[in-house]
Amino acid sequence: MATQLQTPGAIGPEAVTTRAANAPAWLAERRRAAWEAYTALPMPDRTRDEDWRRTDIRGLEPDEYVVDPGPTGHGAGLVEAMREMRDRIAPDAAFVASTRNGVRALEGAEALRAQGVTVCSLEDAAVHDEAAVRRALAHVPVDGSKFTALWNALWRGGCFVHVPTGVEAAVPIVAAHSAAGDHAAILPATVVVLEASPAAQGTMLSDAVSILHLGEGSRLDHCLLQRWSASTWHLATHRGVLERDSRLRFFAATFGSRLQKVYWDALLEGQGADATLTGVCFGGGDQHLDHQSLQAHRAPATRSDLLLKVAVRDRAQSVYGGLITVDRAAQRTDGYVQNRNLMLSRGARASGIPMLEIKANDVRCSHGVTAGHIDTEQRFYLQSRGVDPEAADRLIVRGFMQDALDRSPHAGFAEFVGGVLDEVVAGHSAAGVEAEGLS
Amino acid sequence: MTMAVTVEAHELTKDYKFGFHDIDVSVFRTEKGLSPEVVAAISAHKNEPEWMLKFRLKALSHFRKRAMPSWGADLSGIDFDNIYYYVKPTEEQSRSWDDVPDSIRQTFDRLGIPEAERKFLAGVSAQYDSEVVYHSIREDLDKLGVLFGDCDTGLRDHPEIFRKYFGTVIPANDNKFAALNSAVWSGGSFVYVPKGVRVDIPLQAYFRINSDNMGQFERTLIIAEEGSYVHYIEGCTAPTYSSDSLHSAVVEIIAHKDAHVRYTTIQNWSNNVYNLVTKRAVAYEGARVEWIDGNLGSKVTMKYPAIYLMGEHAHGEVLSAAFAGEGQHQDAGSKCIHVASNTTSNVVSRSISKGGGRTSYRGHIKVHEKATGVRSSVRCDALLLDEESQSDTYPYMDIDSPDVSIGHEATVSKIGDEQIFYLMSRGLSESDATALIVNGFFEPFVKELPMEYAVELNRLLAVQMEGSVG
Repeated sequence: MATQLQTPGAIGPEAVTTRAANAPAWLAERRRAAWEAYTALPMPDRTRDEDWRRTDIRGLEPDEYVVDPGPTGHGAGLVEAMREMRDRIAPDAAFVASTRNGVRALEGAEALRAQGVTVCSLEDAAVHDEAAVRRALAHVPVDGSKFTALWNALWRGGCFVHVPTGVEAAVPIVAAHSAAGDHAAILPATVVVLEASPAAQGTMLSDAVSILHLGEGSRLDHCLLQRWSASTWHLATHRGVLERDSRLRFFAATFGSRLQKVYWDALLEGQGADATLTGVCFGGGDQHLDHQSLQAHRAPATRSDLLLKVAVRDRAQSVYGGLITVDRAAQRTDGYVQNRNLMLSRGARASGIPMLEIKANDVRCSHGVTAGHIDTEQRFYLQSRGVDPEAADRLIVRGFMQDALDRSPHAGFAEFVGGVLDEVVAGHSAAGVEAEGLS
Repeated sequence: MTMAVTVEAHELTKDYKFGFHDIDVSVFRTEKGLSPEVVAAISAHKNEPEWMLKFRLKALSHFRKRAMPSWGADLSGIDFDNIYYYVKPTEEQSRSWDDVPDSIRQTFDRLGIPEAERKFLAGVSAQYDSEVVYHSIREDLDKLGVLFGDCDTGLRDHPEIFRKYFGTVIPANDNKFAALNSAVWSGGSFVYVPKGVRVDIPLQAYFRINSDNMGQFERTLIIAEEGSYVHYIEGCTAPTYSSDSLHSAVVEIIAHKDAHVRYTTIQNWSNNVYNLVTKRAVAYEGARVEWIDGNLGSKVTMKYPAIYLMGEHAHGEVLSAAFAGEGQHQDAGSKCIHVASNTTSNVVSRSISKGGGRTSYRGHIKVHEKATGVRSSVRCDALLLDEESQSDTYPYMDIDSPDVSIGHEATVSKIGDEQIFYLMSRGLSESDATALIVNGFFEPFVKELPMEYAVELNRLLAVQMEGSVG
């Protein structure tokens, strides 16, 4: 009989025991329950699970990945790289940097603290602000799915932001998560809680599981960049829960990973809630980039608007599945989805499945999907004006993405993402560097 | 350990609500339920060749292996063991109207078939229960070499054509219900149009369910040779029964080079019928296939007419209209699979939900890797007439080629208050205004129908819209 030695710190029961030992009792219990759910749930299957039909993760063996590496030598380098990114996006922003060893840097939050805004690691918050963290985590149940169960069992560090009633956060907050090393597993956590408020605001950059709880009348701008290396599996859930008259502007840029499956959920629970979701996605090589969105209209007079722009090159594949649901109570809903795909080369593929389930009659809901290619005439025209073919493609892709970039709620972030996009299209992107990722 | 087994028995007094209903005159029917013996009995009764029996038995094993679909409408109400899979109503196929038994004629009279025939029918292939009982073919079709009959006759009299195409577009293991049909199929139409022949008059067939617990599993095979044209029309009505009926047809169309095939259906089964149909066409170079598909009746319909565009410059068109009232779920749509370059497709879907009814558009556009210059447009619009009803849209698009232009748009809305207000300010009552708007909403579909059908559809819609306002 073969003896199987588990790599130290790999995803497994021992890692859960370690995590639980360092957590308050309620969280330890939650982690153990999540691990049980994780082991009980089957891996998503292309033939069984409709939303996984076009995404094949049979090559992923989670227990080969190290979630608890012990002390490593590259922590300082990772934090430095993340800090540099913060400087390019918004130099005045507060900064929270997480690695597999938890939160490694927490800077620039003095002004926020003076306002009464909490910015700390999610682990600390679980001790000091138990009620708020429990309420937020309840939005991602321990047995919701295979990968949210795994996240619930093993998340570490994480960024927690709590904006009290009536406070408008003075500066944006950049939360960065990074990991290095072969077979590293990182489970980034971001929780933003905005209490009922006439005008509170925060700008975020984060990843993996984000729980965005918008109290009555609050406003949140949340920006996200996913730039993992071309050998990374990226599985994420970003869930916004919107109470009465709150407004979420969510902007996500996707460039990295070998395979990504992300869920964007906007749960419009309160009357007058308003969510704008925007995605910019570029895939090349053999990348498989899967976005799934849910706009759940559960209260009257709610509005949602999603735009996802995707360009694929080489053998890259984009999958998009989006669902707008309108409950019976959600009269006067306005829901919109657009998915626009630009096909850059033979072998690239795109799927778009925008769905509507409407149970109220006084609504305006629509969606559109298009797929097109770069017109040879456009290329020829640019080349005849002396633009070389590579630059021509960069211009055309940038032009295609621009209206989505313009929807970014933070100008500095849009500029940064636009620069990354140009680099990626030009083919000299940092995203290709092994085991170095920022998100 | 304590264990208990309890059995609860419910005896129902069946409350038959007859629409119109004749005394059952069936001559031969199989046992209720499905088994290799039942399948063999059907095949033996029809004196089929060995290969068809084998095909049926293999299909039965596919049917048993496949799970029920996990998506789409609720099919939990189907009890496969409580269905007669074959009923033959009369001994011999009737050639002329006079030979049809009185009770059956009365049912057809109510449906207006003789009337329709006098006017315009090219050939009638009226299906009563599972077998074609009445069949006439006009002489000029014979002269053109057009074959138009039921599928059983096609198998018997034209085995070389029949076997070449049967089951090639929709294999027996395609899906659970195609497998079921392949195992127990009976009747349906067989159409063969020779090279270069244009059939100017639509070919029509009426299908009827008339026996309690009777499933209908007709099989239609249409072959259009190079450069030919044919328009086939299928319409359905059924009387109301107290227990659910299952209808699971398979329709295969082969449109050869430059052929043009139009298939028109208006489905108006009674509201207890599960209508689970597989319809698929292949279009070769330069061919054109059009599905004109209306779904008004049934309890549950799952039907997605498909076109495989196999040859360059082939064109596919799906024009559909659905209406779901109380207790109904119309889960209908289309599939256009672009295999060859420079192929085009166009899908227009209109649906209306009312009184708690649910309409779902479910569509699939796929462009294969090697297909260039593909254009496809899908347009879905849904109207919700009240607060209890539901509308869904599930369009799937898989684009594996860069050289394409694909667009999909969908909207869901209610009838605009300002539209109603405008019409009422011109003197219309609210219900007339609503009916007018609904008629206009279905206009793209209705205008493609032959006159008689357009009139009939508008009449049916008027009935469905009764009491929708106020």
